[in-house]
Amino acid sequence: MNKKLPNFIFTNQFGLLFLVLIFIVIFSTVTDGFTSRFNIFALSRVIAIDIMIGLAMMVVILTGGLNLALGAIGVCAAMFGGWCMEVLGIPIVPALLLTLGMGSLLGLVNGIITVKTGVHSFIVTLATMSIYFGFMTMLTEAEAFRRLPDLFTDFGSAKLFNKYVSPLLLVSVATCFILFYLFRFTDIGRKLIAAGANPEAAEVSGISVSRMFIYCHALSGFLGALAAILLTTRIGAAIPSMAGQLGMDWLLPAFLAPVIGGTLLSGGKLSVFGTMLGAVLVTLLTNGLYLLDVGEFWIRFFLGIILLLAVLLDRAREYLTLKNVIVS
Amino acid sequence: MSEFCLEISAANKSFPGVKALDKASFRLRKGSIHALLGENGAGKSTLIKIITGVHRQDSGTLFINGKEETLNNPNDATKFGISVVHQERNLIRRFSVGENLMLNNLPKTVLGLIDYDEIAIQSKKWLEIMDLDIDPNTVVSELTVAKMQLCEIAKALSLKAKILLLDEPTSSLSPKEAENLFSLLRKIVRDEGVSIVFVSHKLEEVFNICDDVTVLRDGQNACTSENIKNLDRKKLVRLMIGRDEQIVKSTRKTDKIKDTVLALNKVKTELGHENINLELARSEIMGLYGLVGAGRTELVKCLIGLEKIIEGDVIINGKKTAIDSPKSALEKFKIGYISEDRKKEGLILIHNVLDNTSITVWSQIKKAAGLVTDGMIANKVDPYIRKLEVKTPSNYQIISNLSGGNQQKISVAKWLAAGTDILIIDEPTVGIDIKTKAYLHELILNLADNGTSIILISSDMPEMISLADRIVVMKDFKVNGIVENDRDYDVVSSKIMEFIHS
Amino acid sequence: MNMTVAAIFKKDWLGLLIVVLVSGLVIAAVKPAFLSPFNLYVLMVSTSYMLIIALAQMIIIAIGQMNLSVGAIGGLVAISFSGLMEVHQISVPVAVLSGLVIGIACGFLNGYITVKSGISAFIITLATLYIFKGINLGITEAEPFYNIPENVKNFGNAKIGNTPIPFLLIIPIIITILMWVFINRTETGRHMLAYGNSVQSAELMGISSSKVVITAHIISGFLAAIAGMLVVCRLQLGTPNIGDSWLLPSFAAPVIGGAILAGGKVDVIATALGVLIVAIISQALVIFKIDPFFVQIFLGVMILLAVFVNRYREYKQEVRRKIFSSE
Repeated sequence: MNKKLPNFIFTNQFGLLFLVLIFIVIFSTVTDGFTSRFNIFALSRVIAIDIMIGLAMMVVILTGGLNLALGAIGVCAAMFGGWCMEVLGIPIVPALLLTLGMGSLLGLVNGIITVKTGVHSFIVTLATMSIYFGFMTMLTEAEAFRRLPDLFTDFGSAKLFNKYVSPLLLVSVATCFILFYLFRFTDIGRKLIAAGANPEAAEVSGISVSRMFIYCHALSGFLGALAAILLTTRIGAAIPSMAGQLGMDWLLPAFLAPVIGGTLLSGGKLSVFGTMLGAVLVTLLTNGLYLLDVGEFWIRFFLGIILLLAVLLDRAREYLTLKNVIVS
Repeated sequence: MSEFCLEISAANKSFPGVKALDKASFRLRKGSIHALLGENGAGKSTLIKIITGVHRQDSGTLFINGKEETLNNPNDATKFGISVVHQERNLIRRFSVGENLMLNNLPKTVLGLIDYDEIAIQSKKWLEIMDLDIDPNTVVSELTVAKMQLCEIAKALSLKAKILLLDEPTSSLSPKEAENLFSLLRKIVRDEGVSIVFVSHKLEEVFNICDDVTVLRDGQNACTSENIKNLDRKKLVRLMIGRDEQIVKSTRKTDKIKDTVLALNKVKTELGHENINLELARSEIMGLYGLVGAGRTELVKCLIGLEKIIEGDVIINGKKTAIDSPKSALEKFKIGYISEDRKKEGLILIHNVLDNTSITVWSQIKKAAGLVTDGMIANKVDPYIRKLEVKTPSNYQIISNLSGGNQQKISVAKWLAAGTDILIIDEPTVGIDIKTKAYLHELILNLADNGTSIILISSDMPEMISLADRIVVMKDFKVNGIVENDRDYDVVSSKIMEFIHS
Repeated sequence: MNMTVAAIFKKDWLGLLIVVLVSGLVIAAVKPAFLSPFNLYVLMVSTSYMLIIALAQMIIIAIGQMNLSVGAIGGLVAISFSGLMEVHQISVPVAVLSGLVIGIACGFLNGYITVKSGISAFIITLATLYIFKGINLGITEAEPFYNIPENVKNFGNAKIGNTPIPFLLIIPIIITILMWVFINRTETGRHMLAYGNSVQSAELMGISSSKVVITAHIISGFLAAIAGMLVVCRLQLGTPNIGDSWLLPSFAAPVIGGAILAGGKVDVIATALGVLIVAIISQALVIFKIDPFFVQIFLGVMILLAVFVNRYREYKQEVRRKIFSSE
């Protein structure tokens, strides 16, 4: 992590903030209802979840890998939690802890398989995505849990700050700060980053890279479960299809946010607040386009284009980070 | 028609921050084997890349058969008959030998499909030139490294190469295989009209097989196309380093060396080492010398837990131990390893100076809740960065922007900061400028004097004899002999060479 | 290529063939209905388009890359194919041609961007997955095209004479044979495999990376297009979610067939057998009345096992080589 000013990542976050503000101004003037209390509140909830999803993918991208099973893990964890609350009658707080535990466990399994077999996390999570989702569907018989405790669902519809902002957003922003602290100011965070940047060098320097990668996957599962909790309280129910088939609906926002935000796909460099701003930007764009009557069906197309542009930018960024390599 | 099939005249080439070639020249006589020598960092590899079309010179001319030409990419070089022969790197290992040889010119049947019978017939011709009696249908991955290399040469010949560039060709070959290679080289020069550029750091080979020599030093010519008969080893070395091989006068007091800190007892490893018996004393510098492929780096990697030791004992400070990872090597036994390939295993190029230097000490300096701030890091590692005189505009400079010498200093600094009792140093001065090299040598001697035990791996004979108290000679993953170093270069180096060739 | 008996025994696909025969026989022994004409028909139908989908992914695995947009391309072509016929009354042959052109264009886009940007195909096709799917949804607005010409529907249903063999199977079989020839007997195919083995070596031998990559992606898009149109024939509709479930099986079959994801090692016959194995097991689950969601789990586990086994075999071979070939 670099402090100095003429640093691209810093510029990148500033640039993102700038873009966000520009789009806010554009959409406020051009559309009806962008700045309405209703819209901003709805936005705050979507942004909250997208930030969390982006963070969950970010910690695996840090290792140079991918977590295709993110949505599946989230939904599995949420269904587990729903089952705990509705069927077993476990109180909210322990049930949520169990949910997070389940998410971490599923992520842990991904991490262990990836590290122990040496197979790329893309394939591992491609496989576990179906395995987890399959088991979940079998066990729940695709039935949703719709009678969750009121206190829990009320959280999702609560309104703060003169009814503009959802508390979900606060949860996500708080998570951002915690993760920022983790990666910037703790030894384990630095080790995670070093392991992702150059596993061989990190191993020789005394870091247990296997352990670090497993932690990243477990953390990803944890954050995925947290995202699913937020989604569940927003919907008011735990539904097996809430992240799409096999959880694949989450993949686009999960990639977009970190990549736009400056997390390198090759690993070893991340930006927590970049991911946050990336999620904000994408959600704003989607919302704005929707309000402009672009048609919900074309939005996915636009997001695909944005992802393409974002990865091209990522490449340029990677190149510039290594610029002036001295040839030996 | 020029008597030179390849000529480079006054080539200049600069990269950001460094001038790699400064009016360098090179002339290859037709039908000769020409040695291209130079220390790492002298500009050798840049010149090679210009010859093979990977780079273009900033200024200066390139002549092929007397005519001025421009090479824009490696394919151009191939078209002009210039071929580089790496080892097995350029063969497709899952394909057959025949298919590899004919891959860019596959014979086809009437239907446009590949004619495998014809491949076998046509490739036989090239295999015979290289005395290779193998079935063209043999899959490359089943061949020995030596045979793969000969296939590569056969391939180059099949591409009508008239200029062959061999870059460190014997580094993975046994002496017998190397001799075989040399006689084949002489044969193709004689019979196929090929001229060869021979790049090697093994001076004995140069005297064995080459006709002419060009030596580069600091990007310039120390000598150009000199007939080898006019030179001997001493003169050649002087040309390469600009001075006589200097043996640092030892200020080491041998009575400092006492208790054994590390011992290997009948050690056998997963990688093929057998019956390794070694002892390292406190404050001692133990050298591991050997040719490439001797198994030195592999042995130390087993020592720090990156690979497995399957039999025998590792005894540290009198106690039998098992080290399962560099992490436990460092944390439990304070053993550090400065790796040979600093870009791949030593440094994190996209991170900055501070992060790279402190990577070994985060666990040490952390406070409650794992807190480690940049300030805490700077406190710990700054002294070492300054002690090693690392030239960097700031501690936040990205490592990839530093010069090779400064990068190497960082990879040393991080282990100094960690405070090791045993430090393994693997080829510390490869690709490093002379001044930094001398500095690192002094540093190593100081470290040992102050209590660190050092295992030094080096292929640089003068470096080894300057620094080591004892020199362990390794060959084929075994210890062939141990030489006590009394700093008499001729005596010690010949003892070493005896062990190498036994 | 060696066709001696000994060489055949070494082939990857022999083991798979045995698995296919054995599992087929075991299942048939327990549930004779498995070999009923109807069941065989259903088995062959599902194998038919899965085979093409698997080959579409296999060719990309051969060059060491991945194509996440196979399903999206197939889906886009499927709705374009059916849409052109329903809305614009385009004749069947022209509609088929248009579908193929779209598939080729999508594949070309994937290959071109991958080459020009230098970014991994995985990421590029992740983006184009959404782009193609987005166009799909934009055009259909999530509504299927129902009015498919009769002859197309009949093609999807027809069988060859009195046998249970569906007409649908003919095209995939021809394509499989053509792919085998392509990979094993044509210059471009060998160049592709060479590239997949080692980009550096291939380039130094004068093989054009861009040509190889773009050609592979075009073939992949072309095959995905064919698969999409076959599904339309089979389903007798053009629905926007055709292709949504292709990703997993498109990897499973080649990987079960011994493909190495790093590139350079694929086997057409083994991939076909891989498709067959997946189809047999899926069918068996239905016959044994096991929860169909189990297929998901099964596929995931098979992929993990297959990848793991493949890697292990490569590792063992490398170790053997190191021990036996140094002098």
